[in-house]
Order: sequence, then structure tokens, then C-alpha cells
Amino acid sequence: MNKYLNLSIQEIHELLLEKKITPLDLVKEAYQRIEEKEKLNSFITLNQSEAISYAKQLGEEEVEKENLLWGIPIAIKDNISTKGIRTTCASKMLENYVPIYDATVIEKIKEKKMIIIGKTNMDEFAMGSTSRTSYFGAPKNPMNEAKITGGSSGGSAACVSGGLVPLALGSDTGGSIRQPASYTGIVGMKPTYGRVSRYGLIAFASSLDQIGPMTRTVYENALLLNCLVGKDSKDLTSRDSSIEDFTRLIGKEIKGMKVAIPNYFVSEIVSSEIIEKLHQVVDILRQNEVEVDYIDMQYLDQAVTLYQIIAMGEASSNLARFDGVKFGYRSPKADSVEEMYLNSRSEGFGREVKRRIMVGSYLLSGENAKIYYDKALMIRNAMKQEFDKVFEKYDFVLGPVTTTTAYGLEENLDDSRKSFMDDVLVIPVNMAGLPGLSIPMGKGKDDMPIGLHIIGNKLEEAKMYQLASFLENKIK
Amino acid sequence: MSNYQTTVGIEVHCELKTKTKMFSNSINNYGGVANVNISEIDFALPGTLPCINEEGLRLGIKAALALNCTINKKVVFDRKNYFYPDLPKGYQITQARNPIGVNGYVEIEVDGKKKPIRIHDIHLEEDTCKSTHAEKKSYLDFNRSGVPLLEIVTEPDMKSEKEAMAYLEKLRELLLYTNVSDCKMEEGSMRCDVNVSVSQTENLGTRTETKNIGSISSVGRAILAESARQMQEIEQGNIIQEETRRFDEKQNRTILMRVKETGNDYRYFPEPDIPPYDLTEEMMEDVKRKMEVLPEERRKIYRKAGISPVNIEKIIANKPISDYLLGMEDINLVIASNLLLGEISAYLNKTGKMLGDTCLDQEKFKILVTKLDQKEINNQIFKEILVELMETDHDIEKIIDSKKVDTLSSEELIKLIETIVLANPASIEDFQQGKDRAVKFLMGQIMKETKGKANPQEANQILLAVLKKQ
Amino acid sequence: MSKLTKEEVLHVSHLARIGVTEEEIENYQITLKQLLDDVDKIKDIPINHGELLVTPVEHGAILRNDSDSEMIAFEEVKKNIPATVGNFVEVPVMVNE
Repeated sequence: MNKYLNLSIQEIHELLLEKKITPLDLVKEAYQRIEEKEKLNSFITLNQSEAISYAKQLGEEEVEKENLLWGIPIAIKDNISTKGIRTTCASKMLENYVPIYDATVIEKIKEKKMIIIGKTNMDEFAMGSTSRTSYFGAPKNPMNEAKITGGSSGGSAACVSGGLVPLALGSDTGGSIRQPASYTGIVGMKPTYGRVSRYGLIAFASSLDQIGPMTRTVYENALLLNCLVGKDSKDLTSRDSSIEDFTRLIGKEIKGMKVAIPNYFVSEIVSSEIIEKLHQVVDILRQNEVEVDYIDMQYLDQAVTLYQIIAMGEASSNLARFDGVKFGYRSPKADSVEEMYLNSRSEGFGREVKRRIMVGSYLLSGENAKIYYDKALMIRNAMKQEFDKVFEKYDFVLGPVTTTTAYGLEENLDDSRKSFMDDVLVIPVNMAGLPGLSIPMGKGKDDMPIGLHIIGNKLEEAKMYQLASFLENKIK
Repeated sequence: MSNYQTTVGIEVHCELKTKTKMFSNSINNYGGVANVNISEIDFALPGTLPCINEEGLRLGIKAALALNCTINKKVVFDRKNYFYPDLPKGYQITQARNPIGVNGYVEIEVDGKKKPIRIHDIHLEEDTCKSTHAEKKSYLDFNRSGVPLLEIVTEPDMKSEKEAMAYLEKLRELLLYTNVSDCKMEEGSMRCDVNVSVSQTENLGTRTETKNIGSISSVGRAILAESARQMQEIEQGNIIQEETRRFDEKQNRTILMRVKETGNDYRYFPEPDIPPYDLTEEMMEDVKRKMEVLPEERRKIYRKAGISPVNIEKIIANKPISDYLLGMEDINLVIASNLLLGEISAYLNKTGKMLGDTCLDQEKFKILVTKLDQKEINNQIFKEILVELMETDHDIEKIIDSKKVDTLSSEELIKLIETIVLANPASIEDFQQGKDRAVKFLMGQIMKETKGKANPQEANQILLAVLKKQ
Repeated sequence: MSKLTKEEVLHVSHLARIGVTEEEIENYQITLKQLLDDVDKIKDIPINHGELLVTPVEHGAILRNDSDSEMIAFEEVKKNIPATVGNFVEVPVMVNE
């Protein structure tokens, strides 16, 4: 069996340029690996025949010299609309839904002539932190198949971590890229809110959702982000930031940078072995003349509460369109409009999704909207200002991504609050719309990966990759 | 049943005259083949997001200005959440917290008395699908889904059906004249919900809402019927409930649709997919600059020009004519309006044409009115040349000149011939001597003088008569 | 333990159009109340005015030109619609009107 997919993107690109391999070799190898590791359950839908015929077609074309992503296989989280490829959101509700349009990021990926291998498993409608709410069963952690991948982008994390594909897209509403990246030992970036168009991303919580790259290395992460960003007239929240090369600072000196670690991120909620790993990172940084301060930050402990109010509220509204009328599942028991609604939604949605819709509806109903929702948005604003203040003095905020390493697939099954607490360290970043990056920083006693969380100021992804790449080399 | 005061508040929805929809870019047109003017967004396909139609926003601002509202410079939207098959997203994008316009008024006149009706707010939102119903199934047409809507909400300021009708007429006129909406109630581009309460005290009674009334006159009848019903209920010792009703035209009464749940639970919250839009001074100025002359302003101009009140209202009721008269303050507007309302309207009715389809452009029309005003031509001539003016692009001066000669009266011709004869004594002599050439010569002179336009037969007869008298 | 009334849960269930079994009702009576008690703590945070952060972007919306239009064919959309008749989407009869 070939091992081209173990090579770096640059090495693969060289081989393609030298015509030693073709995109078809890469695609075939990807499907072979997927088949071998079928029990990882990382894909919901494979795009095999299309991908193979596209790879053949690409093989006839000239390799684009400057385009490192040319012909590279990529996996797409199954909540991103792909024309002609079933997009289920891991839900029975969309089990047979085949989109008629491409998300803006998919258009961009196609422009770069990357090859879409398939759609990855996830928590149903991205609601969860373990990918166990998937209608298609939970994906398994390639590091230890008895463990969760984390979520919601668990399938994307698993297929990169397991070496099935080098690149994947995930989405992150409250840690859904960074947390599974951390659990599976890969690199995951949630870009600044608005960096990447959300058009075609099936919304969970509109003001928190962001698409981002999940990769094996920091460099490849930056490379993939290069092709995803840009203002999109179809997404009013997308930013008018100029095109930049996110790899440009990689390899540059980090001396003189300033890093803040909020005390809350190293408090008793985090397991000691993870804190220990973080301290080792701090040592490395200090040895390299990076200033590290432990600081107090207000409101971080409120993030989960804000998340419950804001994300569930928005979700209850965003998921109202799944009503059995114009797409998705309609219950056969639909003799009246009300019956159609209740049965389609009760049968089409899984338990966690229903619970969150109930919670969101409840927190927006009657007086609750004024009492809780408005207040949550005010605290959210204060939380953002708190970050702004920190970034006046510091280049980064650092912390662990998760409070523990990935736990067993059968653990904490009925604890929905646990699901939120898994994301307690990453949610503030979504609240403030900041970029957050997860990179591996070693393994725990159980030999499971531990992730370092690098939070940057808005639009400073390039600088984050600079630090991340430095640490990536040092920690190895 | 005495001493009851009826109080009315009105909510109007009107569709904006944009080319495309409010939050998507499909064509704003429905009523034809179902589901052709649709986009991904109109169907709320998973992953789609709204965009904002600039023209929709501009029309909202224009309406707010015309209704004397304070304009909220920060444009934001909210979601109104409810389930209904005609609402694709399961929420309607609307403006609940910061409507585009607030605290406005419309001045009405009833029985010679003027009165302002306060506008609580006007806000932008989107229309739902059109549904048709069979016995067991309903059918959805998404062409209407996302059509820009403006909702205009009054304070409960109207105290009679007359005031309510006057308000609606006035509102309709304003929206038509600002080209905000075509306000066709029969086609549903203007829809009307009426809140009615009755009370014997200073305090307002419990109100009911009568929805979707089909015409302004029906609104009047619905208010009369509903207030009568409420008075009767109270007289019978019953309590009025907050409820939604509809007006049955045939039975001339309102019918209960549903009792309102205690405060509709629409779970409003700010629309996270649309960041605030800050209205620029530039845009405000631009909207103001391009604002049409409002009907009240036009009435003033007409009154000043001396047009009769009856004709003023006829002109206002006919917007194409009123628009045609714009910028014509320097000509005699009484004559102008008489022509337009009289012969010209008759011609248009007969031919089924619109004023704009004819060859009578405003420049030509101004010359025509001036000539009539200065008595260069009379009404008789105007009538004779009307068709030519309407249907050809011949020069108006030429059309008039030709008619002037053509209509040279017999008296004028006699006078002209007498002058010519007397100026040629030699020819009289020749005639008397029986020489033919005299008549031939004189005819030539006549034709020359009249530029050949005189009727030769008539001229010949007159000439012979004149010569014989010599 | 304090909990929501059955009616309150049914009201939310109706708003959300999520059907609930008797067992689920009982469960929601407790868990929704727990949640409410949980989020109720944010009342203690001394921020009572100030901007509502609806979306974490600093830029305003951009407006779309009214003249550009783009449409899709019903034949395309139709593939995903559960029930259609001719050019219409079919649903059980709507009675609320």
C-alpha cells in the first residue's frame, strides 16, 4: 500500500509536480484507508465515484505550481451544504437531503481543485461535545477506539487524526473544532468570527458559528485557512479583511511576545496533568524570552450560562425551518398541520436536539427573553471588552482546550450539563468572536492527547500560527 | 344604547414596489405561475442567510418621511418566531425593537375638520407564502415569500368609521404618490387589520382585531358592525374578549376566528444574521432629494392656480395626470387641468391608452395650453387637432397653422377676395369685357394670398359674385 | 424540589413544536427548572445596561442592489420537498386562516 498521505502537503505537491503521482493515487489511497478504518465511523457519506472521476479529470490537467492544495483530498463536516452530495447534519431529519447549492467555502475549495472525499460524522446539528448525538452512531477516537472523539466535529477530527485524509473542515459554535482537535491530537482553528463565510453552513447558533480548518500540522492549517477566508456578499456578518497569507509569520522569532494565562483556565476545574502540561509550555516560552503572566479575567465562569441562553435561543429559531414542509423528514402521520409539525420534529430530531430546542424556546418565551436573553447579551459584551482589555497588553491568551482528556464512549452518557462543561474553556472565544487555535501539547497518563489553546486578538490568526508553529517544533 | 365612544386603531401592511425581494434576490412578483420567482433563501434552504435590499430600505425611509416619522438611523432587525406552513424559516424577519420610523402622523379631514392620526411606528418586514386551500390539503406558492412589506401601525386615534376610512384614503394616497407601494387592496398589496373597542368612559374598552379587510369601504362597514356588536354585548351584560375576528362582506358582520392567547409568544430576539446598518446622512439626503411632491403640496399648487376643489380631487385621484402636471406651474393650470380631465381623458378612455403612450409630450402640451390661454386658437381647433397631437409627432405649430387656414371663414375669404379684386381694376375691366383671363389671374392671386389653402370652388364662386357687383 | 407546572412545559412544547411524552413532561418539569435556576444567577452580575452584543462583528451590514436578481428552478427544489402537486408544495390543510 502507498503511504503518500503520510507525507506533508509540500512533499505531496512536489510529487505531483514531478508527475510521480497523480491525484487519483491520493484519492484511491484515502478510500483504501477509510475502508480499513471503517470502524472509526468518521464519515456519514462518501463521495467516492465523483471524487475518483474528478481525480482522473485533474490528472489530465496541468498541476498548478503555486497552488499547494491542488488535488489534495479533503473531508467536509456534514453540516456544510455540498451541491449534489447528501448533507445530513447527522440527523434523521436530513437523512435524504441533497443540497442544490454549494456553501461559499465549498466553492472556494473547488476553485483550489481540492477533492472532496466525503462528509464527516458529527453531533446531530452540531449539538454536543462528543459526537455521540449523531443519528449515524458515534465516531471513534483513532488514538484509542474506546474513547470519544469529542465534538461536534468528531468525524473531521477522527479522519485527520487517523490519517484517512490530510485536511478537513469543521465548524465551531462553542469549541466544536478545537475540542475534538485536542482529544484526537490534531490542529484545529476557529477563525475570527466573520473571517469565513457562513453561507451554506447549516446554522446552529448564528452569532457563534464559524467554519475552520482541521489538519495534522500548523503549517497545513494556515495553508487551508488561506483559501477559506474573504468577504462574501451572501453573509452579512462576513468581514472585509484583505487577503493575507496566514503562513507568512511561521518560523519567525517569538522573542518579546507577551502571553496571559487567566487563572480560571488553571483552576480546580482542570485536571492536574493538563495544568502540568501547560506549565511545561510556559517554561518553554519563558526560556525563549516570552513574557507569561497569570491574570484574573472577569466573566469567564459565566460562559457556559451565556452559551445556554444565547446558543440555545438562536438554535431554537434556526431549527424552526425543519418542519416537514419543504425539505427533510415529514412524518407519515401528518393529517393536520399541527400533526405534521409535532410528529415530523419529534421523530426527525434526536433527543439532545429536541432538548436544546425546548431549552431555547423556554428561555426566549414570555418575559424570559427580556430577563435572560438581553442580560446575557450585555454580559457577552462585557466579556468581549474584557478580552479587548487583555489584548491591549498581551499578544495571546493561553490555556488548555479541555479540562480532561477524551473519556470513554460509554461515560457520562446522560449528563447534558457535562456536555457543556466539556467546552467551558473554549466557549468564551466564540462569545467574543475571537480566533482560537488548538494544538497538541503532549499526552496524559492514559496516553490520550492534550491540547493547548491559543487565543488571539481578532484577525491575528497569522501571529497565532507563528507561536503555534514554534511550540509545535519544541514540544515534539 | 347611547354614549358609547368607538375607538379604532389600524395596522396596514403594504408591499413595497421593489424589483427584487427584501432579504433575497429573486424577483418581487407573484400571482402568475406558482414557484417561479424563488431563491434558495425564499425556501429557507438549510445554510442560507439573508441579505438586505437597498431599495426596500430606501422605500421604508421614504414612507417614514412622508408619514412625518422620526427615523431610526440604526437599522436593525429582529426575528418573530412562530410556526405556520406559509412561513418558510419558522420566523419572520421584522423590526420589533427599533422600527425604521416612529412617532409620525397623518392629517385627515372629516366633515371639514382636520385631525392628526398618530402613527405609532412603521417597520420593514417580509411577506409569507401564498396559500390556497382544498378540503384536505393546502398548496404553497413561494413567489410571495420574502416580498418586502411595510407595516404601519396607528395609535387608537380614530373615533369613527369615517375617520378610519379617511385615514386609509390618506395613507393610500401618500404611499401611492411616493411610489412606495401600488396599494391594491383587491390584489393584497395593501392589507388592513382594524382594532375596534367601545367604551362609555374615558378609558378604552377591550379591543378586538378584525383581520384582512378587503377594501376601504368594507373597513367602514366592519367598524360599524363590530362596534354595534360590542355595544350589544355590553348591553346584554357580557364582557368583550380580546379576540381575532374577520369581516363577512355578505352578512355584513364580523365573525370570531380565534380567542387571543394571553399575549402571543413570538419569542422576539435580535436577528444575529444581520449586523446593524447605520443610515448615512448621504443616503438620507438622497432619499429626501428624490422624494416625490406629496399630494398636499400638489393640492396647494392647484388651489393657488385657481382649479376648482372638485377638479383638484379629480386630479389627485388620477396620479398619472397629477404627475403629468408636475413642473407646469408657469402655464394656465385651469386650462391644462380642464383639457386633461376632459377631452384628453375621454380620448384615453376611448383608446385605452395611457397618457405616457401618446405623442403629446409635456412640452407640446405646454405650447398647446399657452396658445389656448392667449386665444391664438380656440377650443374648436383644439378638438379638431387632438387626434393628430396624440398620434403623430408632427410639429405642434404646423398642426395649428394648417388648421388656422383650413378654417378661414367664408367672411374672411370674401373680404380677402374683395381686397384682391379692388387692387386690380384692370382685371375688373377685362372681366366686364368678357375676357376669361381676368378670372384666371385673380384666382391665382387668391391662391397665392391663402397659400393655396382656400377651397377653389368656394373661392371661384365668391370671386364671380364680387366681380359681378363691380 | 421546585419544578415547572405541566402546563408550562406543554406551552414550551407547543412553542417549539416538539412533542413530549408524559415521562418527558415530568423530566422537563425538573430539568427546565434546574436550568432556569442555573441561568438565574446571571441576574446577580452587576451589568444592567449597556450594549447588547448580538453579533461579534464591528462592521455594519452592506446593502444589496435591487436590480441584481438570481433565481432557482422549482424542478431543482422539488427533489427535496416531501409532497408536491404540480408547481405547488403540498401540506395538510391550514385551518388557522
